[in-house]
Amino acid sequence: MTELLRRLRFLFRRGAFERELEEEMQHHLALKSEHSSRAEAARQFGNIALLKENSRGMWTFTFLEQLAQDLRYGLRAMLANKLFTGMAVLSLALGIGANTAIYSFMDAILMSRLPVPHPEDLVILHWSNRDRAPVVHGINGSAWRDEKHGRISPNFPHAAYERLRENRSLPATVFAYARAYELNVVVRRQAEVLKGMYVSGGYYSGLGVTPAIGRLIADEDDRAGAPAVAVLSYQFWQSRFGSRPDAIGSQVLINNTPFTVIGVSAPGFFGVSAGHEAPVSIPLHAMPLFAPDREMEARYRFLDQNFYWVEMMGRLRPGATLPAAEAVLRTAFHRFALASATSENERTGEMPSLWLQEGRLGIDSLRRQYGKPLFVLMTMVGLILAIACANIANLLLSRASARRREMAVRMSLGAGRWRVIRQLLTESILLSCTGGVLGLIVAVWGIRSILWLLSPPGDELTLHAGLNWTVLAFTLALALGTGVIFGLAPALQATGRDFTPALKETRSSAVSGHRKRFAPGLGHVLIISQVALSLVLAVAAGLFVRTLSRLNAIELGFNRDNILVFTLNANQGGYKGEALAAFYSRLTARFRAIPGVQAAALSDMLLVSYHWNDTTVTIPGAPAPAPDKKPNTALIRVDPGFLAVMQIPVLVGRDLDARDLRSPRVAVVTEQFVKKYFPGQNPVGRRIGLHDTKAPADIQIIGVAKTTRYNSLKEEETPPLVYIPYSQDMADLGRVTFELRTGTNPLKISGIVRGIVHDASPTVPITGMTTQSAVIDQTISEQRTFANLCTGFAALALLIACVGLYGTMAYSVARRTNEIGIRMALGAARGGIVWMVFSQVTVLAAIGIAIGLGIAWQTGHFVASFLYEVKPTDSLVMAGAALALITAAAVAGFGPAWRASRVDPMAALRHE
Amino acid sequence: MGTTTRPEIPPGTLYMLILKSLARTGVEESGGMHGYGIAQHIQRISGDILQVEEGSLYPALQRMLIKGWVVAEWKQSENNRRARFYRLTSDGHKQLARELQDYAHVATAIGRVIEAV
Repeated sequence: MTELLRRLRFLFRRGAFERELEEEMQHHLALKSEHSSRAEAARQFGNIALLKENSRGMWTFTFLEQLAQDLRYGLRAMLANKLFTGMAVLSLALGIGANTAIYSFMDAILMSRLPVPHPEDLVILHWSNRDRAPVVHGINGSAWRDEKHGRISPNFPHAAYERLRENRSLPATVFAYARAYELNVVVRRQAEVLKGMYVSGGYYSGLGVTPAIGRLIADEDDRAGAPAVAVLSYQFWQSRFGSRPDAIGSQVLINNTPFTVIGVSAPGFFGVSAGHEAPVSIPLHAMPLFAPDREMEARYRFLDQNFYWVEMMGRLRPGATLPAAEAVLRTAFHRFALASATSENERTGEMPSLWLQEGRLGIDSLRRQYGKPLFVLMTMVGLILAIACANIANLLLSRASARRREMAVRMSLGAGRWRVIRQLLTESILLSCTGGVLGLIVAVWGIRSILWLLSPPGDELTLHAGLNWTVLAFTLALALGTGVIFGLAPALQATGRDFTPALKETRSSAVSGHRKRFAPGLGHVLIISQVALSLVLAVAAGLFVRTLSRLNAIELGFNRDNILVFTLNANQGGYKGEALAAFYSRLTARFRAIPGVQAAALSDMLLVSYHWNDTTVTIPGAPAPAPDKKPNTALIRVDPGFLAVMQIPVLVGRDLDARDLRSPRVAVVTEQFVKKYFPGQNPVGRRIGLHDTKAPADIQIIGVAKTTRYNSLKEEETPPLVYIPYSQDMADLGRVTFELRTGTNPLKISGIVRGIVHDASPTVPITGMTTQSAVIDQTISEQRTFANLCTGFAALALLIACVGLYGTMAYSVARRTNEIGIRMALGAARGGIVWMVFSQVTVLAAIGIAIGLGIAWQTGHFVASFLYEVKPTDSLVMAGAALALITAAAVAGFGPAWRASRVDPMAALRHE
Repeated sequence: MGTTTRPEIPPGTLYMLILKSLARTGVEESGGMHGYGIAQHIQRISGDILQVEEGSLYPALQRMLIKGWVVAEWKQSENNRRARFYRLTSDGHKQLARELQDYAHVATAIGRVIEAV
């Protein structure tokens, strides 16, 4: 204790202490020199500075004090070199931040396990076939292709699920579910549109999810005629019921049908698919309640053995393995499929073959959707990090060699070797840490922006992408590692035994004697790789920007600007038949009356929004088509004002008008339709039939409209298209989209629109309020995101590489001031000096560009699928990127070269 | 670094040697010894075999100050220079006794080992 007091007292009078120690040693030296020569005494006494430091060290909290000292010195050094430090820290922050953000997102999508007990025992059931299994009459759900399996679908007939569930000898218990993409849910008179899940009785017990309160859906709830019940997710219960226990037993309206809430699932459980969080779950057998004809829907859903629509998962019984379970389930499903064949043709055709996928990660639709774009983004941010690390390394290397003399001086004045190394290390770690802290901020911000960038409008990605600390730690460790390695290596070198040569160097003559001018040092290699990587990014940016401009240049056939769009589903809200038509026409009239609205209409889908409604068409008098090549057309059901709102010109005949809503069936077709089905004829007045080849051709063509893009900007061929009034077939009219053309920014009137809709009916909520332009942009969001991000990344990489280049050249010029002075004294022209420096820049940049072009050429095919009408080896892009880099390198090299030519020979020679 | 090779002072014994030098009768009365004096004394008494390196002497003295075994005082030295004189405290006396005892133990033990046949 008293020892501590003595130490503390020392801290307050260290100035006096230093003086006393100095005096004591001088005294010692004086006495000693009386006995031998002073030089001899000094030599024997050794290193006074080190000795003082050691003596001082006895007193203090040396480590902390020196650390503070090093940090102060490091900060001062960083501030003295603002450009270098700024660039290093910035590049590191962006590198670390972007990587952490992208990897966190990847992790949330690709790696997170389902929040249920023992997720490793879960399996997902799929079937696949090479070509097209004839027993599968229809799929309601999803299907995709891959190399290994052919056509894949997770959807099965409900009867197949029942067969597998009843078989107790199977090595897995199976349960089923189907997604509800839009449910109109009214809680306490507040309507909203939510995603939901139709589940079988074994869903919650199979997953192992427990209720937070109440009970969950069980087998007795999922059968025909059972009371309509619903289970809420914990989060929904919290937000809409304020976690009140009396929510249990209360009624909610789902698609205008009352359901009783029986329970709330455990906190954290969001469903089986990371991208499809279901706030509400209802039994599979509740599905027919929403159909106009319940009995037909029930027959269709539960008895049709050839209609594939439910998805299935299974939980392996203890001891069962996935391959063993797969073999048993495959046989069982094969037997079912064989028995379900309705004709000889189907019986002898290819059968769908069941297989199992590990279920611990849940359903992988997001993985399929975002896997590849994320991989591309990951590669890009990985390159940024590599460039940033190379920059840090370069910075530290050139700084270390610039300070070789300083180190030598310090060591000859008595600084311990470890002490000097430690100080250098502190500086590099300080740099890395500053970058890391800023990187954290970039990461948090980045995660938010990625969510925003990738999710389509009106369909926010409900994804729990939090900051991934493991990834952050990894990238930070990488940055620290770079700092330590590239800080330590030159430090060890500079503080080696023999520092006399370094001492003898003058500020300006250094190194040039030791090294040949173009000997490639580590610094040069780093510069070259930076240039090469920047070029790769610049090429990628060029490709994406070109793709984007190609996409934006596509002629749509309608005017996309200033149209407000939003979706309603009054059918789900309880309006049927005449009431539905009246509701919509009343609303349309009120919208038309809003000041600033020039025209308003509605349709059952939007143009260029990835929606697709395809149907068969009958042309009387046309030759009978082959049975597998039925003529078909795209179809949009519209309000008569639609073509006017979209400003699609009618070329022949007349547009639809209000009379057509109630008149005999009429249609407007597109030029494309005429080209395909009435080549060289005037179709006005002709009749066509829709939906069924046997249906009578009772729809009269009254006009021909200009062809527009239909499904997406990228469709290879615009399909023939028919516009019919929405009042034909009201029964299956689901959601409709309103289009309001305005004079200025259409979103300005969104408040008024919401008011009108709420006023008209509080049970019909608006979803997806946006603009037609934004909808189209969203269909190319991938390309837009890539173009924007990649341009940003490329600019950043270019900037970092230029700073590296500038730093290296400026430093090399400074070192060679003396040499340049001599050259000029001997008659070298200023131009020659500029060229001398410039040629070095050019050589470095050219090597980097050549390597970069090679890499870009080799790896371009990885992004080919994201490009549109641009080849990955587009020579214009390659040339542009190379030009950008050579220009940037020239700019970076100009400063040092110019400075070299300004060297005053006299001053340079006199200098030291 | 000198060219003459002398045996090093065995590690750990420097404190004991300094303490012992300061504990001699008469030192206390004459107001203690300065650093150079201590070094000279040890060298002389040991017959020029033990030479105290200044690099270890002053850090050792600082450490002993911290431990409270010695106290220091600035005074005029014999040749009219200001010098720092060190004196033993009671803690220092106790420490010396402890170190001597430990050293005796170790020395006896080492003696047994190297004289064993």
